[in-house]
Amino acid sequence: MLKTKLAASAALVTCLFSTSALAASDVEALRAEIQEMKQAYEGRIADLEAALAKVEETQKKIKQPVSATPATAQRTIFDNSFNPSIGVILSGKYSSFSSDDSEIAGFGIGEEGERGREGLALDESELNFTASVDDKFFGHITAAIVREGGEDKVELEESYFQTLAGFGLPDGLSIKAGRAFWTLGYLNEHHSHYGDFTDRPLPYRAFLNKSFNDDGVEASYVLPTDIYAEVGGGVFRGDDFPFGGGDGEGIGAWSAFARIGDDIGDNQSWRLGGYVLSGKAKGGRSSNEDAVSFIGDSDLYVADLRYTWAPTGSAREREVIFQGEYFWRNENGIYEDTNVATGAVNFDDSSSGWYAQTVYKFDPQWRVGARYSQLKAPNVPVGLAGSALDSFGHDPKSYAAMLDWTNSEFSRVRLQYNREELAQGQDDNQVVLQYIMSIGAHGAHKY
Amino acid sequence: MKRFLGIFVATLLSAIPLAAQAEVNIFACEPEWAALAEEIGGNKVETFSATHANQDPHYIRARPSLIAKMRKANVLLCSGAGLEAGWLPLLLQKAGGEVQPGAVGHLMATDVVPVLEKPVTIDRSQGDVHPQGNPHVHLNPHNVLLVAKELTTRLGKIDAGNAYFYISRYQDFFARWQKAITNWEAKAFALKGKPVVVHHKSFVYLLDWLGIQEVAALEPKPGISPTTSHLESLLRQMKNKPASLVLRTPYDPDDASQWLSKKTGIPVVVLPYTVGGDARSGNLFSLFGRTISLMTGIYDDQH
Repeated sequence: MLKTKLAASAALVTCLFSTSALAASDVEALRAEIQEMKQAYEGRIADLEAALAKVEETQKKIKQPVSATPATAQRTIFDNSFNPSIGVILSGKYSSFSSDDSEIAGFGIGEEGERGREGLALDESELNFTASVDDKFFGHITAAIVREGGEDKVELEESYFQTLAGFGLPDGLSIKAGRAFWTLGYLNEHHSHYGDFTDRPLPYRAFLNKSFNDDGVEASYVLPTDIYAEVGGGVFRGDDFPFGGGDGEGIGAWSAFARIGDDIGDNQSWRLGGYVLSGKAKGGRSSNEDAVSFIGDSDLYVADLRYTWAPTGSAREREVIFQGEYFWRNENGIYEDTNVATGAVNFDDSSSGWYAQTVYKFDPQWRVGARYSQLKAPNVPVGLAGSALDSFGHDPKSYAAMLDWTNSEFSRVRLQYNREELAQGQDDNQVVLQYIMSIGAHGAHKY
Repeated sequence: MKRFLGIFVATLLSAIPLAAQAEVNIFACEPEWAALAEEIGGNKVETFSATHANQDPHYIRARPSLIAKMRKANVLLCSGAGLEAGWLPLLLQKAGGEVQPGAVGHLMATDVVPVLEKPVTIDRSQGDVHPQGNPHVHLNPHNVLLVAKELTTRLGKIDAGNAYFYISRYQDFFARWQKAITNWEAKAFALKGKPVVVHHKSFVYLLDWLGIQEVAALEPKPGISPTTSHLESLLRQMKNKPASLVLRTPYDPDDASQWLSKKTGIPVVVLPYTVGGDARSGNLFSLFGRTISLMTGIYDDQH
């Protein structure tokens, strides 16, 4: 050690002496050379350090599990690989409303169709479990934890099984049974976190209480055609909005649908659908905080269109999505509004609603969107004048504009402005800031 | 309303007679596998590619047209390892038994080639990592050959009457491909050990094959778009130890690579990545020929 030190200082001294004898240009050259050598060495040292760190890291990783369990106790745990994939959606909002009221004129609105809570508030927190049951069945359950009436409640949104190809039905035919967001329009099949806006458009709030997920069975068949074509239908208990109080006797409600879709060139695609949902609100559909009830037949017809276009070819970079749905409902039964003591009033009329929206992704992480939705209230019978079902000639409408930022597939933050003109003289300007995060397994989304 | 439904049903019915029976329908998730299926299957197969060269196969939608195509497929040929996880499961739910996992008609390239970059630990804070390893396997031509062989076997089972046809196509492909590999490797020899920067980890297999060193990625973590701070640190790294090239695919956004190139003078090369990725990459052979020409800067043949 001492020897090397001596040698080094000797070298340094010689170096110093000799350099003084050199010409200035040579000094420059030498300096540059030393600098170069230094850089090269630093680079190499950094490389070595990186390589070493890598080795250490892998060693650590290899070592850890071994040291955690004694050799004799080692066993392979297979159970975990058979666990269903678990996904959790975390979602919350800050909302500010300019109007105290948000009645929708001329319609009986269910609890989930109402405006959200003002201020800081958690949205639905969603738990998803999904797995193939065996070679023949696929199972899924979604539980949402929601705040309702000042309490956190678990809402079973979906719990269904679906047949797989292994079940042996003819190709393209599949059966789904249990509770699910049934095939009806575009948005109904999708969970709320998937939406392009913080809230559902007016027709969904008025006609479906946000979504239709009754208990039932649905069959669908994809036709062996060159363009996409699917037909299907289902039968339901008749318990969920727009029905209610299904007693299980016979079929409470039924549905039928047909869809077609295809691509236009390489970068555009579309889907068009027509749907019927018909049934009886036997025990009564209650709305407006149980003040308004309807008993009778309710037929709902829906048409939807969705069109997507990726101008550069890559939808990840830029994309335009257009989407619109039209709802038409015919009701024949008895309405009653206990708030104004209308008594039972015969009702036989139709109402309708629609929305159209466009979302434009102008950057891989940023999107803007605009939506317009509108309802057309039914003519109110004399007996219901002055009740919640009396629109006073006002057709509810709502405008929305949003901007959202998507960090990865798993996180999104959205700012939305709404102007809702839902009843005469009740203009509501709303600002909503929302976050949506997804942890764990996250299933693929439908078109 | 009734009239509307009537038109609807009429449209559906008119679509049915179009469903002519092709011999073997191959649904390829990516263009490179569609090209390979054509090499082996020739005129005995009908191939369809779910994505084109400008699309990132991670991020396409389960479009209605894909459901229709998958419904009729006899063979599914994809990269696998989670690359198509965002849309393939939905298509499989509506597909027939022939292409379901475990069936002869379900072929994932990552199941038959050695997969690189299998992570030891997985957490989403590391970005969009694929637990089963890097799925972009096709840019090593040796892997292509392995998949070709497996595809030949599967096609022989599904369409036994034409088994010899497929085998002879494979033998022909094998001979031409081996010769081409020798050529490419000779041409790319000068690239060995060269440091490069990539946009996304799309070229791991290409670089591994040619012995090129990937020193950095523009994405701070796989699937996370480049950030200013990450690019700044890359710039410092490049000033210290410049890379030879910046590589990206046609579907990666160009701003980050352009920025780095402008600041450092390191040239950006847009590699075709897959068949159809540029005008001169019309088939598998020209894809590799073109890729190597672009990286070496030597354009001495028709590719």
